[in-house]
Amino acid sequence: MGTASDMRGNRRFRPVLLVGLGCSATAPLAILLLGSLGRDWFYPALWPPAFTFNSWLGLWQGGGRMASAFGTSLGLAVATGMLGAALGWPIGRLLAGLEGWLRHLGAGAAFLPVAVPPIALATGLHLSMLSLGLAGTAFGVLLSHLVPAIGYTALYFFGVFTGFDRGIEDEARTLGAAPWQVLWRVTIPMMRRPLAEAFLLGFLVSWAQVALTLIVGGGRVRTLPLEVFALLQAGQDRFASTGALLLVIPPLLVLGAIHLAVARAEAVPL
Amino acid sequence: MAAFLVSLPVLAGLGYSLVASLGLAGPGAAGFQTARVVRVLGERAIWAGLAWSLWVAGAATLLATIGAVVVAVRFRSRNRGDRIARLLAIIPLPIPHLVAAVVGLQLLGQSGFLSRLGAAVGLFHGPPEMPALVYDPGGVGLILTLAWKEFPFLALVAFSVLATRGEALEEVARSLGASPRAVLQRVTWPLLWRGLLPSVVAVFVFVAGTYEATAVLAPSNPLALPLLTLERYTDAALARRGDAFVLVLVGMTVSLLAVMAHEWTRSRWERLQT
Amino acid sequence: MVQRARGTAVIWRMWRGDPSINAYVDGWVAPRLKARYGITLTAVEGQGAEIVNQLIVEREAGAGGSADLVWINGETFGNLRKEQLLDGPWAGALPNDRYVDGGSAIIGRDFEQDPAGFESPWGKVQFALIYDSARTPHPPTSVAELGDWILAHPGRFTHDQQFTGMAFLKVLLYALGGGIDRFRGGFDSVAYAEGSSRVFAWLEKHRDSFWRHGATYPAGVADLHRLFANREVDFSMSANQNEVVTKVRQGIVPTTSRPLLLVDGTIANAHYLGIPMNAPNTAGAMVVADFLLSPEAQLEKQRPDVWADGTVLALHRLPAEWAARFSALARDPHALPADSLAKYARPEVSPRYHERLQADWRTRIRQQSL
Repeated sequence: MGTASDMRGNRRFRPVLLVGLGCSATAPLAILLLGSLGRDWFYPALWPPAFTFNSWLGLWQGGGRMASAFGTSLGLAVATGMLGAALGWPIGRLLAGLEGWLRHLGAGAAFLPVAVPPIALATGLHLSMLSLGLAGTAFGVLLSHLVPAIGYTALYFFGVFTGFDRGIEDEARTLGAAPWQVLWRVTIPMMRRPLAEAFLLGFLVSWAQVALTLIVGGGRVRTLPLEVFALLQAGQDRFASTGALLLVIPPLLVLGAIHLAVARAEAVPL
Repeated sequence: MAAFLVSLPVLAGLGYSLVASLGLAGPGAAGFQTARVVRVLGERAIWAGLAWSLWVAGAATLLATIGAVVVAVRFRSRNRGDRIARLLAIIPLPIPHLVAAVVGLQLLGQSGFLSRLGAAVGLFHGPPEMPALVYDPGGVGLILTLAWKEFPFLALVAFSVLATRGEALEEVARSLGASPRAVLQRVTWPLLWRGLLPSVVAVFVFVAGTYEATAVLAPSNPLALPLLTLERYTDAALARRGDAFVLVLVGMTVSLLAVMAHEWTRSRWERLQT
Repeated sequence: MVQRARGTAVIWRMWRGDPSINAYVDGWVAPRLKARYGITLTAVEGQGAEIVNQLIVEREAGAGGSADLVWINGETFGNLRKEQLLDGPWAGALPNDRYVDGGSAIIGRDFEQDPAGFESPWGKVQFALIYDSARTPHPPTSVAELGDWILAHPGRFTHDQQFTGMAFLKVLLYALGGGIDRFRGGFDSVAYAEGSSRVFAWLEKHRDSFWRHGATYPAGVADLHRLFANREVDFSMSANQNEVVTKVRQGIVPTTSRPLLLVDGTIANAHYLGIPMNAPNTAGAMVVADFLLSPEAQLEKQRPDVWADGTVLALHRLPAEWAARFSALARDPHALPADSLAKYARPEVSPRYHERLQADWRTRIRQQSL
């Protein structure tokens, strides 16, 4: 029962859509790649007249600023992903168990850091970090990234646990399993995919962050998006394109890894 | 409770902004006064900036939603072609907004890639002949770029909604004898809509407040609210920097409204599921 | 002092957007500081308003300082002084200060403010337009000619919204307002009112022939360079007359680009180094500042293949061999001869003119009521 043919005969749109999706997925990367290698590439040239690898070579030489920023970003993002998933889970689960106006309030509170404009969030967090003596440190930046990250993951787990069948857990307990055994052998295997997706959420929130890192980090914690932004503002498009590619590749890899793992484990789409 | 702990820094930021707007703290503080709040709120530029940001957010979210719905409905079976299509749709998800904006500029600018293609085929004879899609008062290039960036996220949610709830309900409807079109109209679409709505609200409010993409592609008049806020925050005249906090409050008000809207739509979706 | 600073770390907040400057600081200055004085120099990103805001917030929170040295000038210096966030006076105590051309109006006064030892000069630049000799073989050489050119070539000229664009407006102010002398000696609101009304009249007259009919303007000078390189406009501008040299070398503007001075005079100003009040390592910062003032460091900085930033040292105060080396500095075909630079250089005036021009431009031309 091909659902596509059930649609009112618009079969020919499928290839168009597919091509469109394919372009949307690949064209930006191609453009960035060319931009990171070309020099003296001005209008109306469709192809760069000359190439240089200096922005890529610069990753290893010249103090390796972009390389170290990459490392900082990676460390922060992985930590945010893991902590965000780990902390979002119990919060989301708790929220899912609430009723009535408390439930509304809780969900609203979780959503608040997500909805607030980054500048506002950054100012408030900066003050808190300053009084804790953490401003300008990587740990302080990590904490600040966790704020929106946990908002996202808590909301995500909230959705997961709403309508979650606790019957399985209860059964396991009636069969005599201790709570931690239930957690380890029943719940976590069931949660593998949501955990992976929550990790990705937290990872992305931290990875792409500009405003929080800039203000809380006070310019001392240099992450990759900050470097790219600064390079763009300075008109160094070639270096910015290189940084942008670096910025895009790890999340794509994480996404790919999750997709493969999930596809192997389940037959559910994506 | 933990959720409130998470929102505590936000409330702290809110508090500081309130206090700074009233002149009690921050750059240009000169003692308690409501005059600044009144003056800033009376400026036409703020409301123009807010309206423009909301316009861009609305248009981009709408386009992204339409795209997500179309792709989710068309490619929702389990066969290989559909799986590949869904994967392709999601690939741009991890691309940061900043990078998307850069690509948008290079593609859509008057001296950008599309324009050069046009010049190569003789359509344009110079950058001015290409329609202005970036730095334009309509924000077309920004809207397209943001829509492209938000589309994978909404598509992901749409896929998930259809996959978990859609199949079962559709089966039931079909077994009751409904035609494919009726199924689409009366089962799939309402389900998808309710399930997507919270995410649509989230995307809308995010786009309205985003800074980096707007900084790269927006015009200088009307000046979008996030750009205006940062400009005030870094103004050469110290006294005017306090204005930024009033603007922050305006932005936060929009956010609070969005939080309420989000909560309302989310609980509606929840009720549908149980 | 040197002894106290040995083995310490100095954090320097400066603009890090130019790879050439970064290469000079990270690749030439830092290793020598380490080798000779045992100082570890770390340069971090930060400029102007960010630095001021950061210092204010740090003071309010009672936190320790995060930077020892800051790269500043003009209104940033003014704001920092007003809020008493700078340490000093210390600049006059530096050994290399004796070589500084303190008598020059451009160095001895920072936007007409007296550094008073609260900041130490580092480099000197002069405003220039940039044009493409391939596209515009006979560029206009005065404000009047520029105006005519704009009217004759609609949509091919604009300026940016930040420092460089405002410097352009100041050039217009001096040229149309009756010369720089009218504006010296502090802020004169009468002179400003007259001069600025002429500037805005000029802008209004030519506005429709600006790029995008003058309805929108590039955010920063880098965006303007992009428009210029990609043939959307035919002129760009820079606060540093030698920026063309480095940008051509980096492949960001066409090789046929050249700088252009206007005979009405263009603005020259110096940039400086300051030490924040809450700096953890004041001694180290002073040693670094002194090294940066040394003839050796200044010479290296001025080289066209390094940064091409003007020196603040007075050649006549240097020992003969150093003076000779400066004069012999190889000149890039893209650069301007030093004598015409000097002839058309005009110092900065009170920063209030800049502030007012920017605020009024936003209101009247960009049409924002803030």
